[in-house]
Amino acid sequence: GGDEKIPASGEASSSGETQVLKVAFNQPENHPQYKAMEEFGEKFKELTDGAYEIDIFPNELLGAQRETVELVQTGTIQMSIVAGSLLENFNEDFAVFNLPYVFESAEHQMSVLSDEEIVGDLYSSLKDQGLYVAGAFHSGVRNVYNSKKPINTPEDLKGLKIRIIESDTNIKMMEQMGGTGTPMGQGEVYTAIQSGVIDGGENNELIFANLKHAEISPYYSYTNHLMLPDFLLINSQLFDGMSEEHQQIFKDELAKAIDHEVEMWDEDAKKAIADAEAAGATFNEVDVDLFRKATEPVVQEKLTSENAKKLYEKVREAAK
Amino acid sequence: MISAGIAALILFAGVAFFLIIGAPISISVGIASMLAMFSILDPQNALQASAQRMFTGMNSFALLAIPFFILAGVIMNNGGIAMRLVNCAKVLSGRMPGSLAQTNILANMMFGSISGSAVAAAAAVGSTMAPMQEKEGYDRTFSAAVNIASAPTGMLIPPSNTLIVFSLVSGGTSIAALFMAGYVPGILWGIACMIMAFFIAKRKGYKSNERVPFKLALKVFIDAIPSLFLIIIVIGGIIMGVFTATEGSAIAVVYALLLSFIYKTIKVKDLPKILMDSTRTTAIVIFLIGVSTIMSWVMSFTGIPKLIADLLLGFTDNMIIILIIMNIVLLIVGTFMDPTPAILIFTPIFFPIVTQFGMDPVHFGIMVVFNLSIGTITPPVGPVLFIGARVAKLKIEQVIRPLIPFFAVTVVVLLLVTYIPQLSLWLPQLLGLIK
Amino acid sequence: METIKKVLDKILSTICVVLFGALVLLVTWQVFTRFVLNNPSAFSEELAKYCFVWLVLFGAAFVFGENGHMRIEFIQEAFPKKLKMVTQIFIELSIIFFSALVLLSGGMTITKLAWTQLSAALQIPVGYLYAAMPICGVFIIFYCIYNIYTIAKNKKPLEAV
Ligand code: NA
Ligand code: NA
Repeated sequence: GGDEKIPASGEASSSGETQVLKVAFNQPENHPQYKAMEEFGEKFKELTDGAYEIDIFPNELLGAQRETVELVQTGTIQMSIVAGSLLENFNEDFAVFNLPYVFESAEHQMSVLSDEEIVGDLYSSLKDQGLYVAGAFHSGVRNVYNSKKPINTPEDLKGLKIRIIESDTNIKMMEQMGGTGTPMGQGEVYTAIQSGVIDGGENNELIFANLKHAEISPYYSYTNHLMLPDFLLINSQLFDGMSEEHQQIFKDELAKAIDHEVEMWDEDAKKAIADAEAAGATFNEVDVDLFRKATEPVVQEKLTSENAKKLYEKVREAAK
Repeated sequence: MISAGIAALILFAGVAFFLIIGAPISISVGIASMLAMFSILDPQNALQASAQRMFTGMNSFALLAIPFFILAGVIMNNGGIAMRLVNCAKVLSGRMPGSLAQTNILANMMFGSISGSAVAAAAAVGSTMAPMQEKEGYDRTFSAAVNIASAPTGMLIPPSNTLIVFSLVSGGTSIAALFMAGYVPGILWGIACMIMAFFIAKRKGYKSNERVPFKLALKVFIDAIPSLFLIIIVIGGIIMGVFTATEGSAIAVVYALLLSFIYKTIKVKDLPKILMDSTRTTAIVIFLIGVSTIMSWVMSFTGIPKLIADLLLGFTDNMIIILIIMNIVLLIVGTFMDPTPAILIFTPIFFPIVTQFGMDPVHFGIMVVFNLSIGTITPPVGPVLFIGARVAKLKIEQVIRPLIPFFAVTVVVLLLVTYIPQLSLWLPQLLGLIK
Repeated sequence: METIKKVLDKILSTICVVLFGALVLLVTWQVFTRFVLNNPSAFSEELAKYCFVWLVLFGAAFVFGENGHMRIEFIQEAFPKKLKMVTQIFIELSIIFFSALVLLSGGMTITKLAWTQLSAALQIPVGYLYAAMPICGVFIIFYCIYNIYTIAKNKKPLEAV
């Protein structure tokens, strides 16, 4: 085993050995992000002449997201793909990307999150804590679905209990959108909707179709309220220890993989919509501006620091 | 793959060594996992990962159902609920040959359906039944064997802490679906024991109960209703999705406590002792779960399950044979190990193999729990066997012979449960809990 | 030594009873807020989980003091008295080894690392919660030393509980 020991920082390349970079991931192998990372791994290995190999562990095999961040910090594992909300702990400015209606479209989101000008400092800001944000993946758009009726206005959500991810912001957001937010583990949502404990949820089309929520709450309405990116974290010592050439390959190939992931996501979403429709779901567009206005207070409330306000302005500027 | 082989060797040899010398199971698993981790990571990282895995392994809302079901069981044991269930079972078993034996089996199944503990059932029901059976001229070893053989049905008939543990280590298999899936196999186990008891009793010429007057029967039923109502609230609520298993377990505690206060069998000043009794069982089980989380992390990190799967699949790719091998391994493991640690150790190894073959996780869970429940009645380590013999005031050697026919029929039911998925899956599918 | 153990037993069992009682109340409250007040309590689930982990760690330490953890005894039972004592002392040393490395040292590392990270619902540092691990490690080490002391003093093996 000694010959395969994984050093905490990355200097393996000079000796001609292959260094295995373990990546923690919380979704299954068929997820677009997994597929994109796999492609990235192949290219990275090839272009660095086998100096690095990427080994992805899906399905939370290495732990839940928050725990894997700690493991990356100390170099026990090398990378992890995590939700932005976790990074707020390290730098609260990351919260900006998790606000309702901050992004107009996947293109807007991806252009902002890969713009050195906007995110460069932010991504490097965690280095003193052992983390570097190597990039951000698109992770769909969250929309409301329910078992009662198509939603067109905040008025329509009145009296409906919608499952949300546990957080103060989300509870307020759902309230301002007209409904009642109920935090609950994803595993319980199906039976909870079935038995009428809640009326629906809010998520992207992939989850909606894959977890068969389409069967029991068929009205999927494009409220477009959240577009939460996922971030690829890498141990900062490892990244800084790479040769400049390898760093460049890493960045270029990751950028390509991130672009391709958006395409794969689109394809999967189309398939998911078809599956859901076959299961009886209907999809409708809504007057997004009404919801955008309704959620403005929670956006303003979350933008507490000057930094966050500036970042928010930059992101919105990029949409024009 | 080399590092996986070395890690696997350290891990399994280490666990075996410490188990054999009689170290706590949790420590055996913990030290071996830690040493295996040293072979692949530098010590600082290995210790950090171990500590973090252990903490997060215990930090789960789903696990909270376990202390509550344990507490509810302790309260019910002290709360006069067993006696009411035995009376009810006596009326139900009527005038069958060996009807007191049938009563014992039914009472164990009913007790099992409100508590998750086979040991508690064997103790509570067994000690209530033993004097009655002796008075009717039943052979004491036969009565004890019947009680012991049927007590583990409660680990399959929900609620069941063992199934909750399986849900957790298998990556969140639905607890509601597992609970529903346990009914048919658990009841089949009971019925198999009843059939065996029927023939033995007939041969031995044991009389049946006297006819119970209708009025008395009615009174006995009414008396047992509050106890049985617990099943409807707790299991019904979990299945309907009205509340989670954890919330349901808390309701079970509150309900059992209220009932015991009404029956005046528990006083407020008894509570600290009851809580401390439950703390012991909880701490032992959950500490073990935490430590086992280190082990499953080491295994995924190094790829040990894949190594074992490759070895096994290189030997055969016939699902029927693979399941036979797994059953034999588990039956042997069950003779000397309790169900919870065995599940924690073997699920991460076997689960990826069977899901690869398309076996339903719920079906696999029932098979494993059924198998390991049999282990609770076999020597050398059989908690149900020990308690059952003790309440019957018998030596373990005296009970083993009469236990053999019952052991044989439960193994037959195990084979049925293994190869007929519908026995497990029919009910949860009917209720729409799984596809 | 005996006095310290008695005091520690008393402290730990009191903490455990309080934590267990708090757990029942918290989860009952959670059910109540969900169904009766129709307003799920966000903090109670997380607080319950942390009470639970603390209960388990303190409870586990307490049970080490009673020599009460699940083990396979029948092989050791067959050992001659001397060998049995030596084996038991070796086991206690192994428990100390595990507790010192994983619970104490590893526990300290993650506690420090998470000292400023806030938990999702309660917004208290995760490090405070991890701190139960090193604390529990110290208690277990004490109980093991006490067990070795008992074996040496009585010149006979520990009784199984
Ligand atoms: Na049960
Ligand atoms: Na056994």
